[in-house]
Amino acid sequence: MTSIELRGVWYRYVGSNDWVLKNVSLTIEPKEVVVITGHNGSGKTTLLKIASLIYRPTKGEVLVGGKEFWSLTEDEKLVIRRKVVYVHEKPILLRDTVLGNVAYGLRVRGLSNDELLRRCKEVLEELGIWGLKDVNAYKLSVGQAQLVAIARALTLNPEVLLLDEPYAHLDMKKKEVLTKVLSRRSVEGMTLVIATHQKIDSTELRITKTVTLENGEVVNIYNYK
Amino acid sequence: MISDETLATILRSIYVSGTATLLASVWSLPTSYVLTLKRRVGIVEAVIESLVGIPTVLLGLLLYILLSSSGPLAPLGIKLLYTPQAIILGESILVTPLMISTSYRVLKNSVVMYGELALSLGASKTQVMTLIVKESLPGVVASIIMSFSRALGELGIAMMVGGNISGYTRVMTTAIALGVARGEFEEAIALGLVLMAIMVVISVTLKLINKVYGID
Repeated sequence: MTSIELRGVWYRYVGSNDWVLKNVSLTIEPKEVVVITGHNGSGKTTLLKIASLIYRPTKGEVLVGGKEFWSLTEDEKLVIRRKVVYVHEKPILLRDTVLGNVAYGLRVRGLSNDELLRRCKEVLEELGIWGLKDVNAYKLSVGQAQLVAIARALTLNPEVLLLDEPYAHLDMKKKEVLTKVLSRRSVEGMTLVIATHQKIDSTELRITKTVTLENGEVVNIYNYK
Repeated sequence: MISDETLATILRSIYVSGTATLLASVWSLPTSYVLTLKRRVGIVEAVIESLVGIPTVLLGLLLYILLSSSGPLAPLGIKLLYTPQAIILGESILVTPLMISTSYRVLKNSVVMYGELALSLGASKTQVMTLIVKESLPGVVASIIMSFSRALGELGIAMMVGGNISGYTRVMTTAIALGVARGEFEEAIALGLVLMAIMVVISVTLKLINKVYGID
């Protein structure tokens, strides 16, 4: 199972002199449920994108399973990236149907159409949106789009799933459904990292760690164990 | 009714501007893509954007000097002046900054959005690039259509390096200019209406592309 360790990570965007993350160190162990909290602009999204191996830190190291990710070869990076999946706060959907969108990650992994359909159906039914499978993704409401983006990640059954504000656009009913689905995945062994400024039911989701960010710095790490 | 000569002029205009646009896309689109992958391109971006509005007569003049019998290309045996190829070359240079600038904006958004998305879903480098190209296609097509529109409506280059030779290098804009100079307004107005109709079709097509694919 994959652990992700951020060691003394600093990050600033190209062309900016301001540090978005300052000396952040954090370890995400396998099967953990980590919640990252903080105000808007505190660096939650950037932290998540670094932990998701999308952004390369300006300074510091990202160790995956003990290996420094950014020193690996492209092939080695790809193998690891396929175990770590990130879902954006603002859902990014492709010009395709819901099914086409949800199947994308499976397609890039070269799965057969039958297997692809089976896994998409399973997840879409779990989230209660199988009925939307043939709908043009651009015609969805923001809440539906967010569920589709989450479904796309869940079909890949990653070892680590990082979700940026997954509840932001969902109504109460959809929030409950999502929490149940995430809870089930967590019990099955999936590592979850959730960035949010909303309250999460810690009993349902069995949160193991809460990380609080402020102005790009980790100000508190609370371990539930 | 449109005469055979007028019809030939219309078709020639479309051929010349269409070829120029396709030619420009051969170097403009890869350039845009490469620019999106570079981090500090602010100055290049500013220079390209400032070249979008370059006066066509200035470009026509530069090309005239370059292609004339006493120009720097003459010793190489390049004799393009007063040929449709000269107009094609000139128009392709003219629309290059516009095509790079507009397609760069589309591709830049796509590289950030879909590049991140594809990476986060475990796509390889080739798969990332394929997704970016696929998702930005409507915007890139819009950029090509816009460039065609610019090439079709320009006069300076066609006049200076084409020479407005009847049945050979005469295009709609030069024919309109000649008609007005001669006082033959009937043909000038007919060609003007055709040119406007083409522009309207292009504009409606662009709007449809934007609406259907939700391009900003």
